[in-house]
Amino acid sequence: MRSQRQPQPKHKRGALVFGLTLLASVILVAFAAPLLAPYDPHAFVGRPLERPSPTHRLGTNDVGQDILSELIHGARISLIVALGASVGTVALGTLVGAVAGYVGGWLDSLLMRGVDVMLILPRLPLLILLAAFLGTGLGQTVTVIALLFWPTTARIIRAQVQMVRRRGYVQMARGFGGGAFHILIRHILPEIGPLIASQLVMAAGRAVVLEAGLAFLGLGNPAAKSWGLMIRFALNLPGLLLTERWLWWLLPPGICITLLILALAYVGIGLEASLQPRLEGV
Amino acid sequence: MVRRLIGYLLTLWIVLTANFLLPRWLPGDPLSALLDPTSASYVYDAEVRAALAAYYGLDRPLLAQYGHYLSGALTGDLGRSIRLNRPVSGLIGAHLPWTLLLTLTALSLAAVLGLLGGALAGWRRGSSADKVLVTLSVVISNAPVYFVGTLLLIVFGARLRWLPLAGGRTPFATYPSLLDAARDIGRHLVLPALTLTLATMGSQFLLVRNSMVTVLGEDFMLVARAKGLSSGRLKWVHALRNALLPFVAHLAAHAGLVITGAVFIETLFNYPGMGRLIFEAVGARDYPVLQGAFLAVSTVVLGANLLADWVNQRLDPRLRHV
Repeated sequence: MRSQRQPQPKHKRGALVFGLTLLASVILVAFAAPLLAPYDPHAFVGRPLERPSPTHRLGTNDVGQDILSELIHGARISLIVALGASVGTVALGTLVGAVAGYVGGWLDSLLMRGVDVMLILPRLPLLILLAAFLGTGLGQTVTVIALLFWPTTARIIRAQVQMVRRRGYVQMARGFGGGAFHILIRHILPEIGPLIASQLVMAAGRAVVLEAGLAFLGLGNPAAKSWGLMIRFALNLPGLLLTERWLWWLLPPGICITLLILALAYVGIGLEASLQPRLEGV
Repeated sequence: MVRRLIGYLLTLWIVLTANFLLPRWLPGDPLSALLDPTSASYVYDAEVRAALAAYYGLDRPLLAQYGHYLSGALTGDLGRSIRLNRPVSGLIGAHLPWTLLLTLTALSLAAVLGLLGGALAGWRRGSSADKVLVTLSVVISNAPVYFVGTLLLIVFGARLRWLPLAGGRTPFATYPSLLDAARDIGRHLVLPALTLTLATMGSQFLLVRNSMVTVLGEDFMLVARAKGLSSGRLKWVHALRNALLPFVAHLAAHAGLVITGAVFIETLFNYPGMGRLIFEAVGARDYPVLQGAFLAVSTVVLGANLLADWVNQRLDPRLRHV
């Protein structure tokens, strides 16, 4: 039935290119933020709630800070959280998944039981609870996200490790007396490398959503102005939606978050497709 | 099924225990800070402070605290709210029905629309309508739900003024009849439920569409087509029925997603459910409420998972012996 098999569907390549381009531009903006931003995002450079003008392209917020500068610097917060949380999540998940998949036995059952429990739990309420107890620094946010979201990665990595472990050359290396650590690093890691890459991208996207979400709920770091925090401050202004202000205060950060998440999602879709070329038409 | 039930009870016990241990183990000792006159989060209201001290019992041995906590949780004693000085269980009882109304409405809408849309898009895969729908659902399910909600609020609430901007019902309204009550509550439900539907529909649509595409490639579809069955029968009976299994299997996984969406949506729309309760508790660092809400939401999600397991077993006999 499925005779027109292609090695890789064209639109998946397009997704990868689109995502990478978008992601690269956000990274560029984040690095060049001090050059691009007209003002210091924390400085009070105008009257409160100015409309957009040549001096303030997106107007000013309720305390007279330049919104465009906040927006440009916000890219840094999102990317820092995305990087920190995704590396933490995937490192933890890979560690647990690799150990469970490679060692097997009761340790495997125990670890996977724990993973099952964590996957069933509603993790957003738990995230809120932990963030409320631990405080709202960027470090805390990153830690809490990593601690709650590693199980998905662990399960995927475990399955792959189990598969690779049964292959002939790994069995042979074991037969020659290769230690577990040596085999994991030398033979198994290269096989699960691409999988780790796609997990990193997905975890990064989720971290961006969660950081913005926590900021929206009032659990963001007030010193680190992220896009989520901008939305929250904008919505805090009574009657914001009844005036035109949302157009330059609320819409830009919302679009920025959405674009960054989409960029990461498309990179993820593209990576996944190149990992499993046989999974076509999906 | 009995084994599953035991598994869920075990998970519930782990949730209870985590809920007990986390605030006591976390650095910074947030609970003692409530009772410490030198700390910033000291509770000044003597009555509330006494209730907190009695509930948490931090001066007693850990095991005694644990026993007190467990027996309290099982009999519905979840402590008192610091902010409102009311029992947490009463607050949850007042907020949970609104969240259930919102989530169940959105979940059923999303299920119907996701199924129909996914089946049609999968049937005509590769068509321009399919491509548009796939792109749209990727974009909408990835955009932050409170951003999508804000946009809907601006269009339908603030610009067109068709629907109320916030709340679950008109404040201080008295209803002459049940019908008036339903209409008022329904009008307030439209925008939050629409937002939540949009937020959850994308993944359901993609799931159904993909399993539809897979099923269409199966040999039995070729046989059915060769028998000369009508395309409607092929589509709705042969293909969709088989594409349905993964959809139902993932319904439980959606429960967590829907709750997450509801927390943000209720915050945005000032909707009087659990999400709003959590949001207000976060602002006041009202720990007993946060803990109680986490416990209540976890119980609901666990129940939804159990229900989905049971439905799955009824639908797919292969699962009965696992």
